[in-house]
Amino acid sequence: MIFNIGDNIVSPLGWTTAENWSAVAAGHSGLRPYSHRLGLPEPFFSSLFDQGKIDEKFLKLPYNQEENYTKVEKMAILSATDALANAGVNPADPQVIFVFSTTKGNVELLEDLRGYEPERPYLWRSAQLIARYFGNPNEPVVVSNACISGCAAQVAAARLLHYHDYRYAVVIGADVLSKFIISGFQSFKALSPEQCRPFDVDRTGLNLGEAAATIVYARHRADIPAGKPCLCLAAGAICNDANHISGPSRTAEGLFAAVLQVLDGFDVTDLAFVNAHGTATRYNDDMESVAMERANLTDIPVNSLKGYFGHTLGAAGVLEVILSTQELLHHRVLRTVGCENPGTAAAVRVAQQPMETSKTAFLKMISGFGGGNAALLVTVGEPPAAAEKAEAAGEPRILAEANISDTAAILPDGTRLSSTSSDTKQWLSELYNHLGMAYPKFFKMDCLSKAGILAAEMVMRAVGQANEDLKSDWGVVCFNSAASLDDDRTYQATIQDPENYFPSPSVFVYTLANIVAGEMAIKYKLRGETSFYISEHFDKEKFKKAVADVFAQTNAKHLLAGWVDYDNGHCDVQIFIFEK
Amino acid sequence: MENLIEELKKEIIEVLNLEGMTPADIDENAPLFGEGLGLDSIDALELIVLMEKNYGIKLQNANEGKEIFKSVKVMAEYINAHRTK
Repeated sequence: MIFNIGDNIVSPLGWTTAENWSAVAAGHSGLRPYSHRLGLPEPFFSSLFDQGKIDEKFLKLPYNQEENYTKVEKMAILSATDALANAGVNPADPQVIFVFSTTKGNVELLEDLRGYEPERPYLWRSAQLIARYFGNPNEPVVVSNACISGCAAQVAAARLLHYHDYRYAVVIGADVLSKFIISGFQSFKALSPEQCRPFDVDRTGLNLGEAAATIVYARHRADIPAGKPCLCLAAGAICNDANHISGPSRTAEGLFAAVLQVLDGFDVTDLAFVNAHGTATRYNDDMESVAMERANLTDIPVNSLKGYFGHTLGAAGVLEVILSTQELLHHRVLRTVGCENPGTAAAVRVAQQPMETSKTAFLKMISGFGGGNAALLVTVGEPPAAAEKAEAAGEPRILAEANISDTAAILPDGTRLSSTSSDTKQWLSELYNHLGMAYPKFFKMDCLSKAGILAAEMVMRAVGQANEDLKSDWGVVCFNSAASLDDDRTYQATIQDPENYFPSPSVFVYTLANIVAGEMAIKYKLRGETSFYISEHFDKEKFKKAVADVFAQTNAKHLLAGWVDYDNGHCDVQIFIFEK
Repeated sequence: MENLIEELKKEIIEVLNLEGMTPADIDENAPLFGEGLGLDSIDALELIVLMEKNYGIKLQNANEGKEIFKSVKVMAEYINAHRTK
């Protein structure tokens, strides 16, 4: 249980939480049709900042003009500045940790670096610059878990505050739209040509939006500024159910499991509403309706904010928690803009008109690529008395370890294999053959996933678990430096030349770091939490702490965890199996 | 037509990374999805790109692919009738 002591939303609808609340309460939407924007040959419907607005706003901040921040960094800094001021927290205090949630960060720089240093597209680099702007001395935590990143970052913040010596966590979610991101979703045929219609029977796909959002969380209730209400993140859970990398299970196994965990011991009649992911794709909304039916939540109003902001990617989980908290504070459930005739696999109670409420809690649901599902329970006023699961984080045991580099692999039994090829891709195929794997999907994977799945196969075999038995108490925790940059560059090549512009869906699907964790979850049916963090280097102490935190806070008994990096043809993988 | 079927088989193997398969392994009358080659929804999207890139055929709706990708033969017939390059 942690406490929101200050927040902010920077979106095309406003620069503060209050401005955004006023806009959506008045029924405004940031979504517009665009053509000939961002170098895209086809029109699209999105929520974009007006050109130059971010710069204009940013110039009013006090900062060292020598540092040339990118758009996503400026948005993050603008958002965090206001949230920190609301919270009355000094960001330079060593008791403050920054947690940055983004899916693609500065990926637009792959088209043209525009004078920035070559490291700038790395997510850890942006996070460092943001934390440094505020004079914060700690290495920021970067969460990149596809669409669930914003909620996963809040789960991470709760752990940092509970098990580490931090008093405040500044959770920032931010993503900007670019040719890279929009062309990829267009290649998936997932975008709606009109304003999206979440939960509508005739829904036509999603809209994307850009935004940054920040919540400053405090460990102690006593740190809530005088006169402010008690806003509590009471519980959070992440469960994987990937059967295909492009999404969670149709029967909502993971989302249902995550919802059950956060509502454990909580009286659901106290829920004012459920704020769904509600992307307006046929599949997502059906899946969420099934989760709500299975969790007996079909009488609770459900809304989606996508018709106001679009899907804001890494910001979504943060932005939507802030807006939903405003709903509780204003005793009002927002309507689901775009939903005229509800129609989903299971019948749910879609909020089609604004509704009054006197209840003091909401459930946040979110799901995404890589099979990730997250649920959060947020309350306003006296927090629930639920017993915290917080067990002392002990030292987990390592059951097996495997390593893969550009030139060699070390198997769990100590056997060393050497590459006969100077080409790393070739070397990964050699390893596949050496292991005698029969998994044709391997050849469709990007190199990051190939390297990860090979190392996973080695350690899973070593403990007799390289099978398809359901492993509900197994999770995945991965770290790397390059996120999916290697694949990002491959994808960029498919859209770089306007004369040869053919965005590749099979490449784009791998342009998320956590897909490798999803591939592991699919192959071995791992149904616990999957988390993906980005850091400049492999810090084994931080890694072990993250593993211990998952054991302490979830039902996981085993974790497939490690460093899985692939960048510019260089492979660096160290995978372990930990036992609680 | 036979040439187009052969050409398509090679292209499908290449763009979908069907490792270890040769054109002879693909039955032009067998379904591409479900049983057959075990392709998935991302493969279907990639076939849509293939049609546009190599034959100048643009499908707006992924659902149109369902009929066209019934088999290599059906796909070849569609391409023959609609190709612009």
